[in-house]
Amino acid sequence: MIEIRKITVLYPGMKENALNSINLTLQNDDFICILGKSGAGKSTLIRCLNGLQTPTSGEVIWDGLSLSSLNEEQLRKVRREMGMIFQHFNLVPRLTVLQNVLTGMFGYRSSFKNLMGWFTAGEMDQAKQVIQEVGLIDFMDRRVEHLSGGQKQRVGIARALLQQPRVLLGDEPVASLDPGTSDRIFNLLQEMHLKHNLQTVINVHDVQLAKRYATRIVALKDGEIVFDGKPDEFTDEMYVYTYDSFGYSRMPYTVTT
Amino acid sequence: MWFKKRSIISYVLLALFLYISMKLTEFDLSKFRDFRNMIDFLSHWFPMDFSLLPRILKDSLETLAMAFLGSFFSLLIGLPLSFLAAKNTARSPFVYHLTRVGLSFVRSIPEIVFGLILLTALGLGPFPAVLAIMFHNIGVLGKLISELIEASDPGPQEAMKAVGAKSWFASLFSILPQIWPNVLSNYFYRFEVAIRTSLILGFIGGGGIGQRLFNDFKTFHYTAVSLDVLVIMIIVILVDFFGSYVRNRVI
Repeated sequence: MIEIRKITVLYPGMKENALNSINLTLQNDDFICILGKSGAGKSTLIRCLNGLQTPTSGEVIWDGLSLSSLNEEQLRKVRREMGMIFQHFNLVPRLTVLQNVLTGMFGYRSSFKNLMGWFTAGEMDQAKQVIQEVGLIDFMDRRVEHLSGGQKQRVGIARALLQQPRVLLGDEPVASLDPGTSDRIFNLLQEMHLKHNLQTVINVHDVQLAKRYATRIVALKDGEIVFDGKPDEFTDEMYVYTYDSFGYSRMPYTVTT
Repeated sequence: MWFKKRSIISYVLLALFLYISMKLTEFDLSKFRDFRNMIDFLSHWFPMDFSLLPRILKDSLETLAMAFLGSFFSLLIGLPLSFLAAKNTARSPFVYHLTRVGLSFVRSIPEIVFGLILLTALGLGPFPAVLAIMFHNIGVLGKLISELIEASDPGPQEAMKAVGAKSWFASLFSILPQIWPNVLSNYFYRFEVAIRTSLILGFIGGGGIGQRLFNDFKTFHYTAVSLDVLVIMIIVILVDFFGSYVRNRVI
């Protein structure tokens, strides 16, 4: 379970807090979508959860431990239990799908073994298993830069799954994908959420996707939580308020499924 | 639209620098009046004396070995140092600045100075030349590679941190594959430069084909000089081809 207690983040050289004294408790079966304008603090919030960003004040509590009290070694152990996927996929270039997915195990193995690329037959099978799960088994030996955006994100998901994580974090994972591909990626994320009992927290710009897949929506505005509730409670008025949008841009979104 | 009045100052300054530099270097095309002397001189270079070819080849091999060893050791030492000298991978600002200063220091000393200093301890021969090439190139490759590291995409590095890899390993594993083709092309370029450097080092007794060229020159053995020069040209071109071949295979 992750609990966020009054975290504030102020980036150096900025006047306004990126996050302003936020409290949030994530439940175990949550599939949370975080909504908000660009610059509302969504990425910062996600990155605080696995310690990629250290809050200026406040605490992130994971299994009763405050992340800020951990040394680097302990923080690594926390991170390996949290998978993360990214907008730009962040795959290691010039390596194959299989090689990239295997990096998901790095947190559990010695750096020397990682460097030499020594994997046991069991570990290889595990990697192939997750590649199968995301539907890329035929592309296993292909270099990642030769894949489409959707396929790259599937590699990202497979890498995260190989960590056998309890939490899956997504920092705008579909923001550079087309609508159809985004939908399929969210479908896969939902499937993995249910199958592996993964607590899932994802930043997303597409409100329609969020309402369709999330079990809980959190909306951020200017570094503060302005909404936290069930997807169908996120009304048109809430949408207009969150995004400072004009009424007419509600139109594509009100066509709910 | 493109040319602003303000930039006139720059053009005037540029013209001034050109003028001063020409004065200082006695740059004067009319001196080519004596062009015929050069033609006359070069005519003594031919025909090439091919009877010396086996010995020239043996010396060339020594030169290649000097350049290869020197540049390879410099890569071996410079690559890890470059990670300490890059802003995004340095452990602390202190280490970063220290490594940067250290690299500039060894880079600022020309190989020939290293060679002259090392000669006093190690005596004549190719060994001090190898070390001289190595020291200078540690500085050069360390700087060039650290700049590649700084320009690399931070995304994969972040992803490797997020899977729980140790931070030094996350940097190494995510950055090295990105920069590897460029590391190789920098390396091969420095290898090529090292061949030319080892010629100069030959002039101060560093062995190899450089020393032969120097001796042939000093003894007016011009038919050998021409063959030396030809062999050197061929070596440089071959190394260049080999370098681009390897780099293309890697990309």
